[in-house]
Amino acid sequence: METADLSHHISRRFNEDLEQVRGKVLAMGGLVEVLLAKSISALVDGDSSLGKSVSVDDLAVNAMEVAIDEECSRILATRAPAAGDLRLIVAIIKTITDLERIGDEGEKIGNIASRLAVMERPENKYREIKHMGRLVSEMVHDALDAFARMDSQAALQVARRDKMVDEEYESIQRQSITFMMEDPRGIRRALDVMWIVRALERVGDHAKNICEYVIYMVHGKDVRHTRLEDIEQTLGEAKDPRN
Amino acid sequence: MNHTRALWYVASRIAATALGGAIIGWLLGNVWIGVAGAVSLVLGWHLFNLYWLDHWLQDRSNIDPPDTSGLWDDVVSRVVRLHRRKRYHKQRLLEVFRELRRSTAAMPDGVVVLNANWEIVWFNRKAGQLLGLKRRIDQGIRMSNLLRGPSFARYLAEERFDEPLLLEHGSDPAVFLLFQVVPYGVGQRLMLVRDVSRQMALETMRKDFVANASHELRSPLTVVTGYLETLLQDDDLDPGLRAPLNEMHRQAQRMNGIVNDLLDLSRLDAATQEASGEDIDVPALCAVLRKDVQARASHPELKVELRTDAHLLGDYAEVLSAFSNLVDNAVKYTPASGSVRVVWEADADGGARFTVEDTGRGIPPEHLPRLTERFYRVDSGRARDAGGTGLGLAIVKHVLQHHGAALQVHSEPGKGSRFTCVFPPRRVRPARGGDTIGAASRFG
Repeated sequence: METADLSHHISRRFNEDLEQVRGKVLAMGGLVEVLLAKSISALVDGDSSLGKSVSVDDLAVNAMEVAIDEECSRILATRAPAAGDLRLIVAIIKTITDLERIGDEGEKIGNIASRLAVMERPENKYREIKHMGRLVSEMVHDALDAFARMDSQAALQVARRDKMVDEEYESIQRQSITFMMEDPRGIRRALDVMWIVRALERVGDHAKNICEYVIYMVHGKDVRHTRLEDIEQTLGEAKDPRN
Repeated sequence: MNHTRALWYVASRIAATALGGAIIGWLLGNVWIGVAGAVSLVLGWHLFNLYWLDHWLQDRSNIDPPDTSGLWDDVVSRVVRLHRRKRYHKQRLLEVFRELRRSTAAMPDGVVVLNANWEIVWFNRKAGQLLGLKRRIDQGIRMSNLLRGPSFARYLAEERFDEPLLLEHGSDPAVFLLFQVVPYGVGQRLMLVRDVSRQMALETMRKDFVANASHELRSPLTVVTGYLETLLQDDDLDPGLRAPLNEMHRQAQRMNGIVNDLLDLSRLDAATQEASGEDIDVPALCAVLRKDVQARASHPELKVELRTDAHLLGDYAEVLSAFSNLVDNAVKYTPASGSVRVVWEADADGGARFTVEDTGRGIPPEHLPRLTERFYRVDSGRARDAGGTGLGLAIVKHVLQHHGAALQVHSEPGKGSRFTCVFPPRRVRPARGGDTIGAASRFG
């Protein structure tokens, strides 16, 4: 697919630069995936030291964001890329911002999880959060896969899953409200749970954003703030991704 | 030689044709018309055959080879034979190739072929299943772009491929994959992926069993020890019972030690992350060890040499238990006339090592590899007499693993043993004033 397109440059160094920065973005993504998984299992297993360790990972994520950003500026300045290469660089700059935000949300979840770990755990052991966490983690994973493969169809499918996450968010919110009305002593915990669910919902949004950048990168179409049906239509028109 | 033969053939054919034409022409009245007619007929026949041959070669499979005679027949039959032989060889090669692919595809382990840039060249069905790879799309994509875990990236960067890498599957925490990279050819790599979830589940079950069993043994043991202590404090105790009760108390204490060590071990086993990085003042820790030894009724001479002021970064309780286990062993197996030397020194690479050396009876070499196994005895009598639990060195090994450090054992029967813990630079906080060789005098 498009990946092979990266090898058409006369300058081999340029190809290597592009491949390398892409690899770095995906490595950063891998770090973020681990961070997110850690923060969720810190909550589900009630492991407060694991929850605290997430902030160390977040520092690494932040450092990577700065490094990749610099690398991109360097490529823009020295190589003046055009067309697909330019879109790749632009997409990378935006993707790392979203990845960094996912890292921040993960850190937030980890912090709250380490606070919740010392409190009494609910009967269902945060099953619904575990479920939502898995949905969101898979979204992030598949969005990064779509980025690696430059696969706009897969990206579209991942973006569609954001709706499920939103529904899950609504349902947990309703459930928490019921808990708070039944037992006011549990309001503190329910509020913390709400924060976590909110963070997960935001992670889902960031994953969706990454998918939109993938579509932009492959087709050159900006599909932000567009309804999914409209995106499908646009993609249908632009069957041939070359230009 | 062949050239002249060909020339002769051409010349004779042309001469024969011209002669035949001339004779017919002479009979009909004009020699030259006869010659011209005969030559053009022959030329026409050759052209016709050439055209058919070309036509047939273009679309060999559907039409029969052209039917001709003479030299053309030879040419056609040779081409047919050549073609058949080629097709046969191709078929056989293809068959062998397909057989190979089928066998690798049928392998129960995942196989991925990677090129020098770590790009995917080929993978079998199992690998696709285990790693979620997509046929066609994923060819040419860097492996690390799809397997993004930091530990996998580290594994590739360090290129230590003689050891496999164990990874948790991303989305399903119950699935464990074992990776092994095998370099071959020029920069090519074969990556094997195996699903080891079942082994891991069994391993977890075993660890859980040991932890639970030790925990369950603890409470009855506490009750027994408690009653024994009360009985021993009773002044009206029948003097004949005192000796057996003392022995019972001693054994109960020993059992308590074993249970505690087992619990420590299973805690170390369960730890997935490396130990934390508390600052440990090793010189101060050595002072604690010295005090413990001096509290014993009889002990060999203990020398502590502090060749550096460096601090360790690790878990204090774990490191203390590892070091005291080593010192304890040395003191236990060295007669009171001997000596034990404890050395803390810096390594050239920024790491540090803690060494315990004794002049005891030493360990025969055949036992060295199995020394850190649980309950392993060099000879069954002596450790039990000395009151050991049989778990000390297993704990040392686990603590060191937990800190990314290694244990080196050197021993000569009759002369003594040397146990060295080698800590990597990232676990060592260097001394502020450089190495202070003279520091030994502080405790010496």
